[in-house]
Parts: sequence; structure tokens; C-alpha cells
Amino acid sequence: MARMKFLCDAERCIECNGCVTACKQEHEVPWGVNRRRVVTLNDGLPGEKSISVACMHCSDAPCMAVCPVDCFYKTAEGVVLHDKDLCIGCGYCFYACPFGAPQFPQDGAFGLRGKMDKCTFCAGGPEPDNSAAEFKKYGRNRLAEGKLPACAEMCSTKALLGGDGDVVADIYRNRVLKRGKGSEVWGWGTAYGKPEKGAAPPAGAKS
Amino acid sequence: MQVFLRQWLLVMLMAVLGAVAFVPAYAADTSSAQEQAARQQTQPGNNAPVWRDVRGGDNPYQTTQVRGVESAVLVQPAGETWRQVRNGLVTVYGGWLIVVIMAMIGAFYWWKGPIKLHEQPTGRRLLRFGAWDRMVHWGAAISFILLAATGIIILFGKHIFLPVIGYTLFGWLATLAKNVHNFVGPVFAFCTILMFVTFVKDNFPKAHDLKWLAKFGGLVSGEHVPSDRFNAAEKVWFWLGVTLLGIVVSVTGFILNFPNFEQGRALMQQANVIHATAAVLFLTFALSHIYLGTVGVEGAYQAMRTGYVDEVWAKEHHEFWYQDVIAGKGGGAASPAAASALKEGWKT
Repeated sequence: MARMKFLCDAERCIECNGCVTACKQEHEVPWGVNRRRVVTLNDGLPGEKSISVACMHCSDAPCMAVCPVDCFYKTAEGVVLHDKDLCIGCGYCFYACPFGAPQFPQDGAFGLRGKMDKCTFCAGGPEPDNSAAEFKKYGRNRLAEGKLPACAEMCSTKALLGGDGDVVADIYRNRVLKRGKGSEVWGWGTAYGKPEKGAAPPAGAKS
Repeated sequence: MQVFLRQWLLVMLMAVLGAVAFVPAYAADTSSAQEQAARQQTQPGNNAPVWRDVRGGDNPYQTTQVRGVESAVLVQPAGETWRQVRNGLVTVYGGWLIVVIMAMIGAFYWWKGPIKLHEQPTGRRLLRFGAWDRMVHWGAAISFILLAATGIIILFGKHIFLPVIGYTLFGWLATLAKNVHNFVGPVFAFCTILMFVTFVKDNFPKAHDLKWLAKFGGLVSGEHVPSDRFNAAEKVWFWLGVTLLGIVVSVTGFILNFPNFEQGRALMQQANVIHATAAVLFLTFALSHIYLGTVGVEGAYQAMRTGYVDEVWAKEHHEFWYQDVIAGKGGGAASPAAASALKEGWKT
């Protein structure tokens, strides 16, 4: 089965924030929660580069490792998902994540953060596929509908690629060969550099 | 003259503020961008200076439209370090330390049993802890036990409770644990301050405490070693446990408990490691204290429960304090006469 990955081509990203908007629109994400963001390096200086970043669905996910209630699970396609019914809102996944992906609806006193929310690779959560309960907690389940993540589908310059890691890598390799520059696959070493862990989903979790 | 002074102050203020505001922008502009340009001359294709900025998030030209804590930081590798330290060092060694200490206390109890009084109790009772002393102690003790139990669920529950009770039950238990921990924490911090103020006067180290420590109070030999109202081990517990570890867990706890102040992840990670380490040490200390205050020493629990101890208990465990009380020098809470009077309901 395909191993799902995100790849952002910094040579192409124009910081339009279309991916951010697509994500918010697709999943009706609450105000203040940003599953995806665009970071611009050297903003306004020569050599400006932008990169769209969200949960990278790491092979050895730090969030999964530190979660005190073990609410994370990984689908057979390598997508890291979590169960909001178990989440206690401690914030540990946010401390551990290299990409700043976990988001909380609040950051209240006495650690009242609410349930963690993050990019699901448009793959929903543990509830039945495309159920109302799943949509309310995790947003749309596009993978179950045979579609790829909304952010990558919507990207106007096709800078953001999301899908089967091998296919995505092939597209990127061809681009680098044609243009002869910009070969840094941003974040891949951090996200996918380690051996796959927790790939087998626990009983009851769907693939 | 006054106008001149005011203008001069204004100029100085602007100079200071200007310097503060200008330095980072200037430094970033020159160092990282120029370093990158220089690196391209010597090593084309090596973008290390750029990637250093990506991780740092201090560069004012690194921006994002998303509001949030450190949202302009692309990668924070410290998270992985925190994960290794917390899941490895703290959880594994901390967990086994607690198990080993509990086993050692259990073994000691099995080997020696409780420390009993050598003479018959006379029935004459001395007031050792007044109402305020006991209120403060039990406030701190009950909040500590709640924090220890919920802290264990948060740090070790995944490994010891989750496999037994399953995901749903453990999810509820952990939610309860986290909220109890976060709301009781400040109560404990407050009680720690009261503990310090209440008991500091009888916890100053004295010369004879060294003698007590050298023989460890006769805990193993059974030998009698005189001590003050608090013996040397209690003084160590007071200074290193209640005071030092109490301050450490309280300060780091407040950092973790109030994310509304928008502190960064690095601070939270460090606070978490220090908090968990100090808490494990605190718990091992407390286990020994709880053992000696309950089953380990006959009459010790009644002292803190009722406030009174038997004359014989006072003589055998805290002889210097006993002599002070007999001589009417206070030391504890009241004179023996008053204590007996209180006990038997006389009017003094």
C-alpha cells in the first residue's frame, strides 16, 4: 500500500496561503486552529523562499511517542491520526513535534487547552468514514472518498504535493532534473528519515 | 533647567529603546544573510546558514501569516531531544527509582518492623503540633498525595494502567488526573509557602544534628540519639524536600500550567524535564517520610493526627525538645501542664 507523504517545493511556493484557506474551508476548522501554515524565509529580501508546513505524518512520530494516553495511531498508509475522545489536552505532542503541527482550540490557564487538533492528511479519525461524528471532530475524510488532501489539490503552482511518497518523489526528481536546482526536499529527513514505527493500526482503528 | 533635564532623559530613553530594537534586526540582517552569501562563494549549494534560521525562528525576516506561539519556526529539533529525555531517562530511571525505594522500605519493614516505645506510656501527653501546624501539614500532605497519584498516572499510566484497564477507562482516568493535577498544583504551592513559614523556626541545623546523622538516629542500631523538636533527617526533609524540591516543582509547574502566557516550547520542555525529575525525587523522599510517619514509628501518626504525643514518646524520639518543654521553654506548642489540662478538659 502507498505510503502517504507531503512535499513542499520551495522553488514553486508563492506564499498565496491557498493551502491554508483550502484546509480551513474543507474541514471547517475552528478559529485560532491552523492545521497548515506557510512560513516565508528572507521575507522581502533577495532569495525569499516560502514553505507550506503541516503535520508531516512522520515515520517515527514524536507526538505518538510522548502522548500520555497513547491516543495516536497510524493507518496502513502511514497517516498519523489521533482519537479526540482519548486526548486530555496536555500539550506534550506540541512540545515534541518538530513542525509545530499540533494545535489547541484554547491556551487557557490551568492547562485548559481543549482537545488537540492537527492535519489528518484529509483522512478523518477513528469514527466511521464520512460520518457526521467524524466530520465534526476531524473534518472531511477525502482519502475515504478516493481524493488526495485538499491543500495539495488546491495548490495553484503545484508546489505542495501530497500523496503516495514514491509518486511524489518521482515528480519532484523530474522537476529538479529539468530546472537543475532546488533539490532540498524540505523536512523529509526529519519526518521520514527514521525507520517506520507503529505502522500496524491498533484493533478497532481503520486503515 | 527642568526642561533641559526632561529633554535629556527623553533622548537617553530613546537611545536605549532604539538600541534594543535595532540590535536584533541589524544582527540578523548582517549575520545570516551575509553568512549565506559568503558560504555560496566558498561552498556553492551549501545552505546551512539558511537552515539554521529555519530552526531558530529569531530571524525577523522569517514570517508567517498564522498567529500563534512560534508559528514562524519551521522546525524545532529540540522536541526530539525532549522526547528522548522524557521517555528514556525520566520515565525509565525515574520509574525504577520509585520501585526500588518502595522495595527498600518494604524490606526494611520486614527486617526491622516498626520502632516501638521501650517504656510504658505514662498517659501524660504533650502538645507537639497545634491546630495551625496540623492544618498546614495536612493541607500540604493531601495535596501532595493527590499530585503524586495523578502525576504517576500522567507519566507512567500509559505503561502500567493502560494495558490493564484499556483505552476508554484510561482516557477518563487520565482526563481526571490532568485536571486534578493542574488545579491542585497551585494549592500545593501555597501550602508549601505556609509549611516553610510555620516550621522553619525549629528546622535550623545545629551541631548535634551531625552526630544524629552519623548514627542515622539509631534507625538500624536501635541506639538512642537525642534530637530537637525535629531530628536531622526531618530537617533534611524540610530543607531539601519541602523547601527546595517544593519550590522547584512549584515554579516549573506554573510554567507548564499556564500556557496562556504564550511561553515558547523550549521553556516548556525544560520545565517539564525538571518538573518530572524533581517530582520523582520528591516522591521517593516523601515515601520515606510517610513510612516513618505512619507504620514505621509507633505514635508518630497520632502526633500529627491529634497533635499530642506521650511523654515517653517525646523522651525517646526528641529528647532535647522534651527537656525544653519540661523546662517551660516552649519549643513545641504548649507546656505539659497545659497539655494535660487540655486533654482532660480542665480550666486553667
